[in-house]
Amino acid sequence: MTVQRHVAVMACVLAATALFTAFCHDQFLLSLAFTGLIFAVLGQSWNWISGYAGQVSFGHALFFGTGAYASALFATHHGSPWLALACGAAVAVVLALLVGFPCFALRGHYFSIATIAVAAIAEIVVVNTDALGKANGFELPILPPGLASLQFAGKAPYVLVALVLFAAAQIATVALEHSRTGYYLRAIRANQEAAASVGVDARAVKVTAFAGAAAFAALAGSLYAQQTLFVDAESTLGLSVSIAIALVGVVGGIGTVWGPPLGAFVYTFLARYVAALYGGHGRGFDLLLYGALILAIVSVQPEGIAGIARRFRART
Amino acid sequence: MSDEPLLRVRGLEKRFGELRALDGFDLDVAEGRLTALIGPNGAGKTTAFACIAGAQRPSAGSVRFKGREVAGLPYHRIARLGVARTYQVVQTFDAMSVVEAVTVGALLRRPKLSEARAWADEILGFVGLHAKRTMLGRSLTIADKKRLELARALSTEPRLILLDEVMAGLTPTECADAVKLLRSILARGVTILMVEHVMEVLMPLADRVVVLAAGKPIFAGSPQAAAADPLVIEAYLGRP
Repeated sequence: MTVQRHVAVMACVLAATALFTAFCHDQFLLSLAFTGLIFAVLGQSWNWISGYAGQVSFGHALFFGTGAYASALFATHHGSPWLALACGAAVAVVLALLVGFPCFALRGHYFSIATIAVAAIAEIVVVNTDALGKANGFELPILPPGLASLQFAGKAPYVLVALVLFAAAQIATVALEHSRTGYYLRAIRANQEAAASVGVDARAVKVTAFAGAAAFAALAGSLYAQQTLFVDAESTLGLSVSIAIALVGVVGGIGTVWGPPLGAFVYTFLARYVAALYGGHGRGFDLLLYGALILAIVSVQPEGIAGIARRFRART
Repeated sequence: MSDEPLLRVRGLEKRFGELRALDGFDLDVAEGRLTALIGPNGAGKTTAFACIAGAQRPSAGSVRFKGREVAGLPYHRIARLGVARTYQVVQTFDAMSVVEAVTVGALLRRPKLSEARAWADEILGFVGLHAKRTMLGRSLTIADKKRLELARALSTEPRLILLDEVMAGLTPTECADAVKLLRSILARGVTILMVEHVMEVLMPLADRVVVLAAGKPIFAGSPQAAAADPLVIEAYLGRP
């Protein structure tokens, strides 16, 4: 897609979400929209390293959790939530550099396994640290609502704040696609050795993308914590979170600008909405449905929903 | 140091366990010329390329490029210094379009994407692949894949280009086209070191031939002298 097309689609998505937020009074639907946007940002940041560069990470929750805990710590110690956003992102970048340099010496499955291990270590450290609430987690103190506290009375303002972050992630992704780093990431995915033969320092390029992705994931984690006002290790650092992020990317379509948002939409609205509908008596029905969807997509169209859309466009 | 050739290799060794793929390999490549590296299968030609370009780390020995020691430097660093290569078994970016793949190379000297793409288009015109610029790498024929690799290597504006069997598997017509292309690459001032099996291609083209056998150079001189040298004949055909 050309940049103009991306801008047009972006404008439509932003307008539709803003309108929905303005006229929807169902707090449950609004919280779904919020979750969807958070997962879109997570899936998109995962997509940078696992989609464009083809280095599949199953530890992306590490950065999400970093942001979430930054918010929780700042709120409990009377710090500004905006400072928490900045600090969470900065710590995530440092973590990405520390984790990235050794892990990107590995390729393929070995890299994936290393990412699982690193996130698991982080989870264990948090569960055993008093200052981080151990396994019980944190309740964020409830503050007077407003932009200063980044806490709001209803769900709608949260959706709008998440929408801003989502727009930033989309713009960054389009910019990445049209940059030297974006081309290098795709070349590395296609053939790392051939990329090196034309001067691409594969490890440096991957670490750069990883650091940027970590910052976005941390920002998403901070906003998530501001909205739920509760943070614990399992729900922010757990393997299930990392897998959910990866699935959002895969279902939507890796290595595309609009794949992760589509994947996030399907994940939250289909899976979570159905889960809520059948809540008590249909336990696991959502997982069944989501699992079936993943099987269908992976076997029929490995490029995800965005791939189906592309194929459809090519035919018409 | 002004009399030092563009590329000077001395005592290069590459061991894989007990196997000595390169065992005291020496080579001089003069600037602006076409030097051919020939030898029977398994002589170590591709290993020599890999060690010079930095894809493999030599076990011992010296590789000087532009008067600077480069042996053991990372692959991408040597590429940045001005050494480009093609592969014996083509290594294209299958999921990228032709113009995108060449742009990856062009970005080395032109960090701005618009300039890199314009340069990539120019190089594609030069190798005769411009009409197929939007095709995916994987859907090209072997001959076009080889052209694509050549374009990608040239797009980095190398001083020295290492060509590993660019003629292999080409039809006679395609071979003739490739020879024309090699001449125009030389005309651009790019120095060529090539591994080639097709001797009749090399004869009129090469300024100098180096013959490699069992990891050692056994001959260096003009192509005509190589064809007449008893050691070279023995290496290819065996002792009479």
